[in-house]
Amino acid sequence: MQTANVNRLTPYLFMAPALIVMAVALMYPIGYMIYASFLNWNPSQRIGEAEWVGFSNYINLLQDDAFRESLWVTLKFAAIVVTLEMIIGVGLALLLDRNIRGMSVLRTIFILPMMIAPIVVGLMWRYMYHPTVGIFNRTLKSLGLEPIPWLSDGSWAFTSVIIADIWQWTPFIFILSLAALQSLPRSALEASRIDGATPWQQVIYIKLPLMMPVLIVTLLLRLIDAFKVLEVILVMTNGGPGLSTEILSLRINRTAAEFRELGEAAAMSNYLLILLLLLTVAMYLYNKAVEARAARLRAAAGGDA
Amino acid sequence: MLSLTYRLTGIAVAATMATAAMADPYEPYRGTTLVINVPAHPHYNAMMQVLPQFTEETGIEVEVDQLQYLKMRERQTLELTKREGDYDMIAYVVFSKADYVFADQLENLAKYFMNPKLADPSYDASDLIDGYVANIGVAGGDKGYLPGQTGSLFGIPYGSETSVLAYRKDIFEKHGIDVPETYDQLLDAACKIPEVEPGMGGMASRAASGHQASHAFLLHLAPLGGRVFDDKWEPIINNEAGVAAANALKTIVDCGPEGSSTFGPAEAAAAFKQGQAAMFMDSIAFASGFEDPSQSTVAGKVGYALHPEGVRRGSQTGGFGIAIPKNAENKEAAFLLMQWLTSKKGDKLVAMAGGNPSRFSTYQDAELNEKYPYSATFGEALKYADPDWRPIIPTWGKINADIGTSMSKVLTEGLDPQEALDGVAERARAIMDEAGYYTWN
Repeated sequence: MQTANVNRLTPYLFMAPALIVMAVALMYPIGYMIYASFLNWNPSQRIGEAEWVGFSNYINLLQDDAFRESLWVTLKFAAIVVTLEMIIGVGLALLLDRNIRGMSVLRTIFILPMMIAPIVVGLMWRYMYHPTVGIFNRTLKSLGLEPIPWLSDGSWAFTSVIIADIWQWTPFIFILSLAALQSLPRSALEASRIDGATPWQQVIYIKLPLMMPVLIVTLLLRLIDAFKVLEVILVMTNGGPGLSTEILSLRINRTAAEFRELGEAAAMSNYLLILLLLLTVAMYLYNKAVEARAARLRAAAGGDA
Repeated sequence: MLSLTYRLTGIAVAATMATAAMADPYEPYRGTTLVINVPAHPHYNAMMQVLPQFTEETGIEVEVDQLQYLKMRERQTLELTKREGDYDMIAYVVFSKADYVFADQLENLAKYFMNPKLADPSYDASDLIDGYVANIGVAGGDKGYLPGQTGSLFGIPYGSETSVLAYRKDIFEKHGIDVPETYDQLLDAACKIPEVEPGMGGMASRAASGHQASHAFLLHLAPLGGRVFDDKWEPIINNEAGVAAANALKTIVDCGPEGSSTFGPAEAAAAFKQGQAAMFMDSIAFASGFEDPSQSTVAGKVGYALHPEGVRRGSQTGGFGIAIPKNAENKEAAFLLMQWLTSKKGDKLVAMAGGNPSRFSTYQDAELNEKYPYSATFGEALKYADPDWRPIIPTWGKINADIGTSMSKVLTEGLDPQEALDGVAERARAIMDEAGYYTWN
């Protein structure tokens, strides 16, 4: 009896260290953040001295126009950049999925933007967008065109940060899609070619559907990242002009550092966390549904045979 | 006999003089190492050149932790909540005064100035620039953040600054434009220059969304007769003076060099240095950069004038002060360092090394004026430095950011200034209400 108990416990005992590390490293900070979001806490206080205010941070935020605007900017930003990056990234991967000489060099060059530190990317683009000495406006002027207020007009500034983000993160999607493409079963492609499928038909009916699981994970990763983007925008516009490029993580940063409201910043982070969690769950459910459908189809096909 | 008495007296006098010469108030602290936290700022770079002399004279070693000023503020915020801090002395940016004093994290300096073993009788505190002391050093008096009957001293200005108007002498002369003395003249000149000197903006100003736009607006608000709050903390930022200040800023940015609306202080100064603007009105700290031929194309062509007068004179006050944290380890030695740095001698040393003086007498110093000819004008400007040009209260960060984004909308999206300021006033009132400023109304 005793031995049986010990035996049953053994796996848990072996797992315990990992579990403890996990709990401390992952759950503690999140728990801390959730706890902090119920406090009226300024950074000059220790957390123990902060006043408990219940849900008022969450409620105040919902009524705060600046927060709502910032949330809207974030949603708009994430939707636009991820859509465009997916289209360009997957498109590039489909184009470059062939034997070209010097392919490995090309691939390295394509993923360079991703490897540059975000602060540097921000600075680089800020100088390129500079109203007088920046390369864009100098080129426009030398062509006899009107200079564009890249960063000094609200909607242009929003466009400018989108361009910078696409430049930096399209390679991420490109490299993952390319890997997915190259691991596709050659037999399926060959079969379709023998059946007389055009290259377009191959892309639409074979390649994309087979790549879908990878694409969904890629999309999810990019989406999560796009919601959390901070440094590039911080350096390029610092949220301006007005609030036109003030994405949520920038607002969180300012709330903690400039407004000195750690509780409110924590509440904002939790809203962001909830949003991302919902997205992840939705993706997961979608994936499940697709898999279930595939399984049903397979079962039906098996029945026919 | 007589001669012997004389001789003895002589010996006695000599002996007294010898002990006086040997008396060393720094003796008990010899060998102490102070750790101080200061910003990366031209003034504190100048201080770094002066510190070895302090160590040589006093035997007190100083270890310096220098950080970008917003990073410095973040570090201090954490450092000051600890039971035992790492810093013996900190340089703090002026708006930290509200936070640190309110959280009871800075030493009240009274007990040090009362201590005969520490306080130097020749310190001459009345020579310290009063606008700076009021703005940066004192808290607890009028409105809580200004001097007054109930106020006391928590820090000493060090690396403080005010605003002056820098202008291109050559351009003004070429087109016969007078150096602006009033706001009307300033705005006229700002928009006349791009007409007569194509490609050149009138005035380079900060305007980037957030703190920079707010700073630029407040710079005009005080001289045009406005305030953010009245005496009862009711927002009056949206009155006529506020709208006039917003319009002034808009005029300046519209007539300024290209891309003005995204300028921070560094970009605005760079535009002036590269000859893209004929005027620049900001902190005196930028002057040494304008006169440095290695980074400025306008060195020697720049004149300096007082911040123009609107309804009243009122130039900004800001920059840094130095203080002793409550959780410091070597408070007395830190006080000695503070006192030495801001003494007449220390102040001149740092000024000669390119820092900003904290004393009126330093600005009148002949040697300094020879090296930096604009010093006399700056000394004059300081008489009009307005310690109350912006409120230094714990809620300021949030209100400041709101003013900044609203102003940015006025500058870039064509939002009506009155409407923008009405919005700011309404939100500011809510923030102040929540913080308890209307408890007694």
